[in-house]
Amino acid sequence: MATVTIQHVTKSFGDNVVLREFNETFQEGEFVTLLGPSGCGKTTMLRIIAGFERPTTGELYIGDQLVSGGKTFIPPEKRNIGMVFQSYAVWPHMNVFDNVAYPLTIKKTPKNTIREQVERVLDIVHLSQYAQRLPNQLSGGQQQRVALARALVAAPELLLLDEPLSNLDAKLRESMRFEIKEIQKKTGITVVYVTHDQAEAMAMSDRIFVINRGVVQQSGTPDEIYNHPANQFVADFLGKVDFFKGEVRDGRIYLEGMGGQSIAYDGPRTGRVDVAIRPENIIFSAEGELKGVLETQYYLGDVDDCRVRVGDSLMRVITNGYEHRFLHEGQEIRLAIRESMVFEDDGLLEDILKIRT
Amino acid sequence: MKRSTDPRRNILKREPAKLVTRIGLAVIFLLGALMAYMGIRGQNEFSASGFSSERAYQAIYALSGQVSDAWKNSVQPDLNALTEQERALLDSTMADLLRDAWENQNAGAGEEAARLAAEGGERKGEITGKLLYTTYLVNGPKVSTSDRKELLGAKDGKALRLQLLQCMIDESLPLPKEAASLAEGLTGKERQAMLLQAFFVSGGSAGSDLTDNVNSLKKSVRGKEHQLTAFRMIARSEVSWGWQLLVSNSSTAVLLGIILMLDMVLLTLLMMAEKTWIVDFKWIMILLIVDFLLLFQLFPSVYMLIRAFFPEGTFSLSTMQRLYTYSMNLEALKNTLIAAFATMILGTAIAFPLAWLVGRTDLYGKKFFRSLFILTYMVPPYVGAMAWLRLMNPNVGTINQWLRVIFRLSDAPGPLNAYTLPGMIWVLTTFYYPYAFITISRAMEKMDPSLEEASRISGASPVKTLLTVTLPMMTPSLIAGALLVFISAASCYGIPSIIGIPGNVNTVTTRIVEYVGQGQTGMNDATGLAVFLMVVALLILFVSDVLLAKRQYITVSGKSVRPAIVELRSWRIPMTILVSLFAVIVVVLPFVTILTTSFKVDIGKSVFDASNFTTTNWTSVFARAETIGCLKNSLIFAAVSATVGLVIACVMSYLLQRTRVRGRSIPNFLITLGSGTPSVVIALGLIMTMRGNFGINIYNTAYILIAAYLVKYLMMGMRTVVSAMSQIHVSLEECSQVSGASWLTTMRRITGPLIFPSIAAGWFLIFIPSFYELSMTTLLYSSTTKTIGLQLYEYWTLTSQPMSCAMAFGILLIVVFLNFILNRLTRGEFSI
Repeated sequence: MATVTIQHVTKSFGDNVVLREFNETFQEGEFVTLLGPSGCGKTTMLRIIAGFERPTTGELYIGDQLVSGGKTFIPPEKRNIGMVFQSYAVWPHMNVFDNVAYPLTIKKTPKNTIREQVERVLDIVHLSQYAQRLPNQLSGGQQQRVALARALVAAPELLLLDEPLSNLDAKLRESMRFEIKEIQKKTGITVVYVTHDQAEAMAMSDRIFVINRGVVQQSGTPDEIYNHPANQFVADFLGKVDFFKGEVRDGRIYLEGMGGQSIAYDGPRTGRVDVAIRPENIIFSAEGELKGVLETQYYLGDVDDCRVRVGDSLMRVITNGYEHRFLHEGQEIRLAIRESMVFEDDGLLEDILKIRT
Repeated sequence: MKRSTDPRRNILKREPAKLVTRIGLAVIFLLGALMAYMGIRGQNEFSASGFSSERAYQAIYALSGQVSDAWKNSVQPDLNALTEQERALLDSTMADLLRDAWENQNAGAGEEAARLAAEGGERKGEITGKLLYTTYLVNGPKVSTSDRKELLGAKDGKALRLQLLQCMIDESLPLPKEAASLAEGLTGKERQAMLLQAFFVSGGSAGSDLTDNVNSLKKSVRGKEHQLTAFRMIARSEVSWGWQLLVSNSSTAVLLGIILMLDMVLLTLLMMAEKTWIVDFKWIMILLIVDFLLLFQLFPSVYMLIRAFFPEGTFSLSTMQRLYTYSMNLEALKNTLIAAFATMILGTAIAFPLAWLVGRTDLYGKKFFRSLFILTYMVPPYVGAMAWLRLMNPNVGTINQWLRVIFRLSDAPGPLNAYTLPGMIWVLTTFYYPYAFITISRAMEKMDPSLEEASRISGASPVKTLLTVTLPMMTPSLIAGALLVFISAASCYGIPSIIGIPGNVNTVTTRIVEYVGQGQTGMNDATGLAVFLMVVALLILFVSDVLLAKRQYITVSGKSVRPAIVELRSWRIPMTILVSLFAVIVVVLPFVTILTTSFKVDIGKSVFDASNFTTTNWTSVFARAETIGCLKNSLIFAAVSATVGLVIACVMSYLLQRTRVRGRSIPNFLITLGSGTPSVVIALGLIMTMRGNFGINIYNTAYILIAAYLVKYLMMGMRTVVSAMSQIHVSLEECSQVSGASWLTTMRRITGPLIFPSIAAGWFLIFIPSFYELSMTTLLYSSTTKTIGLQLYEYWTLTSQPMSCAMAFGILLIVVFLNFILNRLTRGEFSI
C-alpha cells in the first residue's frame, strides 16, 4: 500500500486559486478525509492525486514515485489507483461483471483470474447475484457498490472516493459508511475520501483535513477536529456551535449581552475572545454559573432542544430527552458549561461564518 | 373503508355532466354519420350522371386538333378579311365550342366546329353570355372575387344564374341583360380562356402552346367535377337546388362526416380511459391537431399506399411489376441505395472524428468550427450542388482546371466529374454530414465525463478509453445520426435533380417527379416508386425512434457536465490544420464559387480575367418582378407555415410537458411520422388527395404548399419548444400560481419569457427550410405560387448559371443571416 506525499501543491484556474500550498503526507493504510464546503478545493485535490488535473506548482508522490510535478506527469491510467465517482460512472453499455472486470481486462489478466477476482470483489460488496445485470436494472446503492467493486478489483494501492454517498438516501448512506470502512479495514488500502458531510467524515476517517477556500484549516483525528478545532471555521463546520463574544478578566470570561455574567476560564488567552460552545456541552445544573430563563423547547424524543435566555442573549442547549418531563417554559434555570472552545477575537468571525455555504 | 364512502366514487356518481355529455357525443356522432350518408348519396348521384373530366379533356384535345386542321384548310385565308366584330364573334364561338366539348364530352364535334368557325354567328350577346358562363365554369375561382360577386350576387343572383344556365341549354332564349353588359366588361380577365381563344383566332400558329393551354385548363378545373355536374343537372332542371348543393359538396360532406364520427369515437375512448364524462378543453385541442394531421398527412400517405396496390380500384401488382422491372427504375433504385449508403458511411466517418475534435479536445478555434459546421446544416442542398457542379464540371470546373495545372495533365475533360454517381455522393455528403455531426456532438457533450475518467483510472489509455467506453456509449446516437443521413440522402431531390438529371444519374426522387409530370398513368407509376421510399423511411423511423431510443443511455449526472478535454499536444496544430482544410473545402470553397460565378460573364474563365466581371447578373435577376414575386411568395408561405406550426408546437409542448391528458401522444406520434416521411412522398400524397376528389380542393393554391411544409417541418419546431418546456420545472409555474397569478398571467410572466428564445428558435427552424424548400414545391406549385427555390432551379436549368448563382447567393445570405439569429437564440442547441 502506498503513501501519498503532497508538497506545496497549488492549483489555479486562470486567476482563480482553488488550492493553496497543500503540504501533507497520507500514510499507508490510512483513511483520510478531505472535508469542506462545496467549492473549497477538496475535489480538485482528489483529481490532482488521480491525475485528472495537473498542479499549477508543487509535487505529488505516490509511494516514492513522483507522479505530478515539474515536467513529470504520469497519466491516470498508469497510477494504479482505484476511484469511485460521485455519479458512480458505471458504464451503461456493460453488465455488472464487465464493468468490474474492466480494469483487469485492460491489464490483460488471464480470463480465469479475472473471473476469480471479480467474484471476490462482488462478494465483498454483496452483489454476486447481480453479475449479469445491466446498470439500469440496479438501484442507486447497487450501482454505487458496482463502482466500488470496480475500484477495488485490481487491488490498487490507493482508493479515491469522490462524495460517493451523496446521491444515496439517508438510510443507505449510513449503512454504506460502515461497509466502506469495513472494506478498508479488510484490505488495508490507503483511502482518500472527499465529502462535505461531517458525519461521514467523523464516522470513517483516521484523519480529517478540513479545507476552506483552498487552504487546509486543520488536520487531525475526528476527536481532535471536533473537540479541539484550530479555528472558528473548523468549530463551526463540524457539529453545532454557538459563538459568543467575551473578554477574559481575572480567570473568567465575561460574556457580552449576558448581563455581566461570566464563566470560569483557565486557558492562556487574554483580552477579547470568541467563545464557541456546543449546545450538547451545556447542562442544566443547580450549581451552574449562568442564570437564565427557559424560553422555548423542541422535544425531539432522544433529545430536548432548548433555548435559554441569558441576559439579552439566547443560548441553545441540547439536553437528554429524558429531562423534558421536568422542564417547562418560563422556568428559571441554571446552566453549567462542561466545555467551551476559546479563540482569539480577530474581528473576522462574521466573515468566516458567512462563507459557509 | 366502505366503497360508498370512497370520495372519488362519490364524485363520479354525482357528476352531472355525465348524461348530457353522452347524449351530446352520440348526437354529434349521428350528425357525422348523417353527413357521410348524404354525401355518399350525392356521390352516387354524381357517378350516375356519368360525367368524367378525363373524357371531357380528351374531347377538348380532339376538338382543338380538328378545329385547328379545319381552320388551316378553310378559314385562315379569309381571316384578314374579317372585321373586328366578326373576329370577336369567332372567338366567342370557339369558346362556345370548347364549352360544348367539355360539357358533352363530345370528341367528334370537329366538323360542326369548323362549320361554325367559318360561318360565324349572329347572336353575339348570347354567345358572349355563354362564353361568360364557360369561363365562369372553367375558371370560376380565378375570376376576381368582386367580379364574381357582381355576376352572381346581382340583385337576384340565383335567378340570374339559373337564367344563364337555361341559356346554355336552349339557345333561343335571350341572354339576361346584366350578364350581357358584364360580359363586355370582362373581356381579357379570364386568362385561361383567352389563351385558348388566342390559339383558335391565330389559326393554330401558336400550336405549341396548345398542350400548355389545355394543361392549364385542366389544372384550373381539376377537382370541380362535382360542381360542374351539379350545374349541368340544375341547368337541365333535373334536380332541385338542394340536390345540387349535395352533389357539388358530396365529397366534402363525406369527409366532414367521417372526421366528426372519428373524433367522437376518439373522444369517447379518451373519456372512458379517463373515467370522466366532463369534456376537457385539452381534448378538443388534441382532436383539432389530430384532425389536421389525419387529413393532410396520414390520409394522403395511406391513400397513396392503397392506390399503389389498387391502381384501378382492384388489387393488382401489375403497376409494381412493370415499375420494378423497368431498367431505368432499377437503375434509379440502385443509385438511390448506393448513394444513400455511401453518403451515410462517408458522412458519419467525417462527422464522428469532427464532433470529437470539436467537442472534446483542445483544438484551436473549436467554437468557431462548431458554429461553422452547424451553420451549413441549413444551407439549401441545391445551392451546394450548383457550387460543386461549377467546381467539378469535367470541362471548366475550377478544381479540374487547378488539377490539370498542378499535375500537368492534358486539356482533356476531367479528372473529376460531378455528373456521376460518385460526384453526387460527394455533394450529398458535404450537405448531410452536419446531420450526423449535430446528433453526435450533442450526445458527446451530454456524456458524463466521469464515465471516461473511470476508464482512465482503471488503467485504460485515452485511445483505449475512446474505443471501449466513448465509442460504445455513443453507438446509439451514432446509428441514429447515420440513419438520419441515410434517409435524408435517399429522399433528397435538390441535389440529384441538379447533378443527376444532366449526368443521367437517376434516383427514385427524380423518377417520381418525372412520372408525376406524365399525367394519370404517370401518377400511378410515381405512387409505386414512392411506396418504396416510404417503406424505407418508415423502417428507419422505427429503428431509430423505437429500437434505438430504448438503448439511449441516459448519463446525465447531478453535476453540471463539463466534458473532459483531451490534450492533443503535438497533434494540436496538425489537427487544427486538417479541420480548417475540411472547412475550406466543404464550406468556404462552395460559397466562394457561388459568389464569383455570380459576377462572371463567361463561366469558363476566371472572374479576374479581363472583361469577365459583371454585376449585370445581380441587377437583372433582382430587378425582375418575377423574382421578387417568388421571393415574396417564399417569405409569406414560410412565415405562415412557421407561425401556424409554432402555435401547434406550443399547444403540443404544453400537452406533453404539463398535462397527463391521455391521447396527447397521438399527435406527437403523427408529427414524428410526418417529419420522417420523405418530402416527395408527402407532396405526392397531397396531390392525389387534395384536388377536390375528397372534398378538399387546395390543389394549385398556397394552402397545399403550406400544408406540406407543416407536415414535413412541424417536428423541428415542436421538439425545440418541448425540450425548452421540459427544462422549466413545473414548480416555477406552480409557485407563480400560488403567488396569486392566473394561468394566463403565469404563461405570460413566467413560462413565456423563459421559453421565448426557444419559441423564436422553433419559428426559425420551420421558417428556414420552408423558405428554400424545393422537393415538395416542385410537385405542388402553380403559376401563381412559385417560390424562390423553384425559381432558382428553373434559372439554373433553363436560363443562366451566373444569374442563378446571383440568386443562390442572395438566398444564402438570407439563410445564413436567419441561421445566425437562430444560433444566437439557442446557442447552437436546437433539435433536428
